[in-house]
Amino acid sequence: MLGQQILSGLATGSLYALTAIAVVVVFRNTRTINLAQGDFAMVGAFLGIIFLKEWGMNYFAMLALVVLCCMALGGFVERVVMRPVAESDWLTLFTTTIGVYYILHGMAGWIWGRDTKAFPVSFEATPVEVFGALISKGHLYNMAIALLIGGVLWTFFTKTKQGIAMRAVTDDPETAYLMGIPVKFIVTLTWVMAGAIAGFIGVLMAPIIYVSPEMMDEILIKGYVAAVFGGLYSFRGAVIGALMIGVAENLAGGYLGSHYKTSVAFVMIVVLLAFRPQGLVGIQERREI
Amino acid sequence: MSINNNQNTDIQANQNEETRARISTVKNLKRRFVRNDVLAMVLLFGLMLIAPLFPSVKGWMLSQASLVIIYIIAALGVMVLVGFTGLVSVGHGGFLAIGAYTSALLTLHLGVDLVVGIIAALLMSGLIGAGLALIFLRLSGAFMAIGTLGFAFFVGTILNNIPFFQGRDGILLDANFVLGFEIYDHGFYLVSVVCLILVTLFVYMLVNSGTGRAFMALRDAEKAAMASGVNRLKFRTLAFSISAAITGIAGALNAHVVNYVSAEVFADIWYSVDILMAVVVGGSVAILGPFVGGFFVVMMPFYFEQLADFSFIMKGVVLILVLRFAPAGVAELILRPLKNARRTILRNVGGSMVETKEPKDD
Repeated sequence: MLGQQILSGLATGSLYALTAIAVVVVFRNTRTINLAQGDFAMVGAFLGIIFLKEWGMNYFAMLALVVLCCMALGGFVERVVMRPVAESDWLTLFTTTIGVYYILHGMAGWIWGRDTKAFPVSFEATPVEVFGALISKGHLYNMAIALLIGGVLWTFFTKTKQGIAMRAVTDDPETAYLMGIPVKFIVTLTWVMAGAIAGFIGVLMAPIIYVSPEMMDEILIKGYVAAVFGGLYSFRGAVIGALMIGVAENLAGGYLGSHYKTSVAFVMIVVLLAFRPQGLVGIQERREI
Repeated sequence: MSINNNQNTDIQANQNEETRARISTVKNLKRRFVRNDVLAMVLLFGLMLIAPLFPSVKGWMLSQASLVIIYIIAALGVMVLVGFTGLVSVGHGGFLAIGAYTSALLTLHLGVDLVVGIIAALLMSGLIGAGLALIFLRLSGAFMAIGTLGFAFFVGTILNNIPFFQGRDGILLDANFVLGFEIYDHGFYLVSVVCLILVTLFVYMLVNSGTGRAFMALRDAEKAAMASGVNRLKFRTLAFSISAAITGIAGALNAHVVNYVSAEVFADIWYSVDILMAVVVGGSVAILGPFVGGFFVVMMPFYFEQLADFSFIMKGVVLILVLRFAPAGVAELILRPLKNARRTILRNVGGSMVETKEPKDD
C-alpha cells in the first residue's frame, strides 16, 4: 500500500517536475515568475487535438510540431511582451505574465470553447508491476519522457556552448555581456526552451486531465510551489521538490482523505519557508528582518 | 565706510523680507493645494453618499456599486503593502476569507450587529496578519508571493475541512442589522461608503504620518532608514498587519452584501491576483489608484458578461499596456498633469526655494 502510494506519487511528481524545471529556466535568467507557463502547455494540448484529428498526423509528428509551435509562442511572448519591460522591477514582470495568462486564456476559450475535450490519444491504463507495486503503462511512459527531458537539459547546460552561456547569464548578466555573450539572444532562448518544455507537458498531460483552457492552472501552481520549494534557482531542487510534493499529496490523499490532497503542497511550502526562507537548496536571496 | 555697511544691511534686510514673503506665499499655496485635495475627496464621497437619492438608481445598481467599493477597500489594503513598503502579497484573498468568516460566524451564532462584525473582522485579520508577517517578511520577492499564495490556499483548506466553518455548504445569512435596524440594498450601500470613507481617511493620514514615511523610507533606502533609527521589523510587521486588517474589513462587507460565504471563492488564486491587479493597474502610490483599479477589475467583466472570453483578453491587453506605458498606474497618468501644473505655479512664485526636482520617469 505504502509502496503503491509512493510510486504513483512519483508519477504525478515527475509531471510537476517538468513544469517546475520550466519555471526555474525562466526565473534564473529573467527574474520572471512566468504565470503564463501553464498556458503555453494548454495551447500545445489544443494544437495537439487539431493536428491529430483534423490533420490526421501520427503521434510523434504531432508531438514534434506541438513542441515547435510552443517554442515559437514562447519566443514570440518574450520578443513582443516581455522585452519592452525587461528592465523593470520584479512585480512588473510578474504582472505582465498575468496579462499574457489572461490573453491566452481568453483566446483559447474564444477559439476552442470553454468545455473540456477528450484528447484523441487515450491514456494507457494497463497496470505493470514495478518493485511489487502497480503502475499504469501511461504513467511509466510519462516518467520516462520526463527523465529523458531532464537528461537532455542536463547535457545542454553542462556540455553545450549555449547552455554554459546561459548559466553565465544566470550568474552575472553584466559580466556575461562584457565577455561577448549575446545576453538578449540567451534570454529569448530561455523563453523558447520554456515553450519547448511546455509543449511536452501539454501533450503528456492532455490524456490524463483532458483539455480545457483551465487544464493547467492547478499543475502550474504545484510546479511553482515545487520550484520555490527547491529554491527557484536550482534544477535539482525543483525536481526534488516536485517529487516530494507528488508523493506527499498521494500519501495525504490515501491516509487523510482526498479533501486534503490538493492543499498538502501549500502546507508544505508555508512550513518550509517558515524555517528555510531561501528554499530547500536555496543559494541566495533572503530578506532579513 | 559705515554708510556702506548700513546700505549692505539694508539690502540684506530687504532680501530677507522678500524671502520671508515668498516663503509664506509658497506655504499658503501648498496649504491651498491640500485644501483642494480634501475638497475633491469630500465632493466625491458626498456624491457617493447622496447617489441612492436619485430616482433612476435601482437596488441592483447599488449592490453592484457595493461590490466595487468592497474591491476598492481590499485594494487599498494591498496598496498599503505594495505601494508603501514594496512587499508583494498574492494571498490577500486569505485575509478576505478570515474577515468574511469572522463576521459571518459571529452573526450566525451570536446575532451580532454588522458594526461589531466588521470591527471583529478587522481585529482578527490584523492579528493573524501580524503573526504571519513574522514568517513572510523573511522571504524575498518571488518567495513571498508563493508563500502568501500558499497561505490563501491553507485558509481555504481549513475552512473547507473543519466542520465548525461549514466550508463545503457555505454560510447563509438571512438579514443584516446595523445599530438595530435591518438594512437592504440602500442601507448596505451606505455602510460600504462609510467604511470606504473611514479607510481612505485612515490611509491618507497614515501615508502623511511619521509611520507612513518610515514605511516609504524602508522601501526606498532600507539601510539608510535603519541607520536613522527606523525599526525594520516593527514597521514592516505593522504595515503587513494594517494591510491585512483593511482587507479583513472588505471581507466582512463582502460576506454581508452577498449574504453568503463560501471558502471556494476566497481560496481561488485568481481572486487574490485580481486584487493585486487592481492595485497595479490603478497605481500603488496614489490613493486614487485603488479607486481606478477596483472599478476596472469589477466593471470590466460586468460589461462584457456575454463575452467572458473577450473580457479576459481585454483584461490582459489593458494590463500589459498599462505596465508598458504607465508603470506607475492609471491614477498617476491622470494626476501627473495636475502635479506638473502645481509645480509650475510654485516655481513661478517661489523661484529657487522650491525644489525643482523632476518627477521620476519610472
